[in-house]
Amino acid sequence: MDTMRRALLGQMTKLTVGAALVPLSSIASAGINDQPPRREGDPAKRYQPPRREGDPAKRYAMLIDLRACIGCQACTVSCHIENEVPLGSFRTIVSQYEVEHEDSGDIATFMLPRLCNHCDSPPCVPVCPVQATFQREDGIVVVDNDVCVGCGYCVQACPYDARFINEHTQTADKCTFCAHRLDVGLLPACVESCVGGARIIGDIRDPNSQISQMIDEHSKELMVLKPEQGTSPHVFYLGMDDRFISRPDAKPALWDVRDPQGEEMGYEFHGH
Amino acid sequence: MNSMVIEVLTPRYAMAWYPWAVQYFFMIAISYSALMLTVPGLLLGKQRFLPLAKIALLVSVSCTLVGPVALLADLHQPLRFWHFYTNITPWSWMSIGSLLLPLYLMLVVAYAWLAWRPAMQEQAQGEGWMARLSGWIALGQWHAPRWLLVLAGLGALVFSFGIMLYTGAEVAVLQSRPLWHTEWLPVMFVITGLIAAAGLVLLLNRLMTGNDEDVNRQGLTVIFVGMILAAVVAALWLAEGITGYSPSVQQAFASIKNSPQWTAAAVWGLLAGIALALSAAVVLKKQVWLGGAWLVGLLALHVGWTFRWMVLMEVQTVAKNTAGYYQYALEAGSYGFMGIIGTFGLWLAVLLIIDILVPWKKGMQVRAH
Ligand code: SF4
Ligand code: SF4
Ligand code: SF4
Repeated sequence: MDTMRRALLGQMTKLTVGAALVPLSSIASAGINDQPPRREGDPAKRYQPPRREGDPAKRYAMLIDLRACIGCQACTVSCHIENEVPLGSFRTIVSQYEVEHEDSGDIATFMLPRLCNHCDSPPCVPVCPVQATFQREDGIVVVDNDVCVGCGYCVQACPYDARFINEHTQTADKCTFCAHRLDVGLLPACVESCVGGARIIGDIRDPNSQISQMIDEHSKELMVLKPEQGTSPHVFYLGMDDRFISRPDAKPALWDVRDPQGEEMGYEFHGH
Repeated sequence: MNSMVIEVLTPRYAMAWYPWAVQYFFMIAISYSALMLTVPGLLLGKQRFLPLAKIALLVSVSCTLVGPVALLADLHQPLRFWHFYTNITPWSWMSIGSLLLPLYLMLVVAYAWLAWRPAMQEQAQGEGWMARLSGWIALGQWHAPRWLLVLAGLGALVFSFGIMLYTGAEVAVLQSRPLWHTEWLPVMFVITGLIAAAGLVLLLNRLMTGNDEDVNRQGLTVIFVGMILAAVVAALWLAEGITGYSPSVQQAFASIKNSPQWTAAAVWGLLAGIALALSAAVVLKKQVWLGGAWLVGLLALHVGWTFRWMVLMEVQTVAKNTAGYYQYALEAGSYGFMGIIGTFGLWLAVLLIIDILVPWKKGMQVRAH
């Protein structure tokens, strides 16, 4: 990606976080007027069916402090166990990047936890032909597995590869912000298990919540993924690098591990 | 700052749409395109186009019947298909499609039934089980007025536009995949559908009717004009990318540059397209070669099918969020190769059953070479 575009996107990312917070925040107005016009990605243009279930007084969101993430994948594992995700599929994963400076040869690593962004204008919801996937009043995007026909349309529509067809249930699956835990006052498995305390979840309508206060404090530095898609993500990243907000210009190093006979080993080994 | 970035561990996401989807898109496009080819002969009553219309009708009906089976198979929960009708969702193109498809299917069948009925009634006059069966299928000897046929045909045609629109829009609205998110995609689906349908008509003309000369000429013309239109559309899509900012074009070029599989596919697509346009033109020009039109037909089918394979399957291998391309290996099971073969097998069975039961060639005077 050329530098101009990158700079523009970076600008947009920050502003988009601002836009997501308009109704509640005192920080908003500053940058928003300068917001570049977003052509087709305008969330207002994407029809959204009415939200249902959940507490309308709340709006859950997550803030991920990348400065505190060590890439240990504890979240990946605990999410797997908590939500019985089939091996080889992920509700969350931490992308790990090795960045090499071309002149000096210095190497740095960059960790990027990914999960469903519980977008405010989720493209995955309106496409569902049977209304199996929907957004709750508290902003959490969920799938009703008894209704889902497994058409895979929502999997295609999500720009973040946050969805997959669960091979056990043969229906769409995704991160639910661990709604079943939140609803009884527990923290999501990934938040609970995070070694560095990098994942902060909470209600952004409550000005006293930790997440609201952190948003206030860091409003200028927060970024979201792929702002150009106009999805208004509600997973905010602190300590983000512009180069990773969209599909990174990177080389994949390792897909899966195979033994000398060409059989898959590692996380995708047979018999699961 | 210049830097090299390596993604250390990349998860491989499974495909959400299987080759079944390619089969559905292929079959249904041939279905509506072949329906268009019946219009001059059957609806407008142009004698010169009657043989073409007869073959095209057979092609349309058989593909209309088999396409939805492939679509059903692409659902991971096919037995829940009735959810489409208990949870109607007018804002989802797929839901709209689920409403259009059965109506379209019924209209095409009605149209064919009315077109074939006189011959069926005649067959019913004879002796034996065939005659009796024909009598049942024809539902008696009463005379169906021509306006009924025209009505069914026009109805099917109207709904076929709905099918064109929804199959194209369903894919093109997905902003998440820049390669799909272009208004040119639905147009291209229709054009390549028309090319494939004409190709199949040419093939059946050779295999089932005795290689009628007019049909060959008309089919080749459709293919040639189709290829010209396809080239224009491709040029317009490219122009959009060159003159402005088109993520669709941008990602296409990035993919061709970064993935050897994509490079090979692009080169192959270009060569096959040029070969098809040229061969159609040459065979049209050289009267003596007209009997070989079915070979051009085979190539047309290949182009029509491969376009859908590229668009639906290969595009799914482009990672949306992470680096690289997921390798997709065609599996042998029902989600892969068997699905493709199975759909074609089913289509062949339907074709042969119709051929046995229905005297669809009746009144066709073949002008062979
Ligand atoms: S991240 Fe994907 S699955 Fe989650 S709400 Fe946004 S579009 Fe939907
Ligand atoms: S896979 Fe399920 S949730 Fe997703 S669009 Fe299809 S029916 Fe809806
Ligand atoms: S919130 Fe729950 S479902 Fe979502 S990534 Fe964390 S553990 Fe997984």
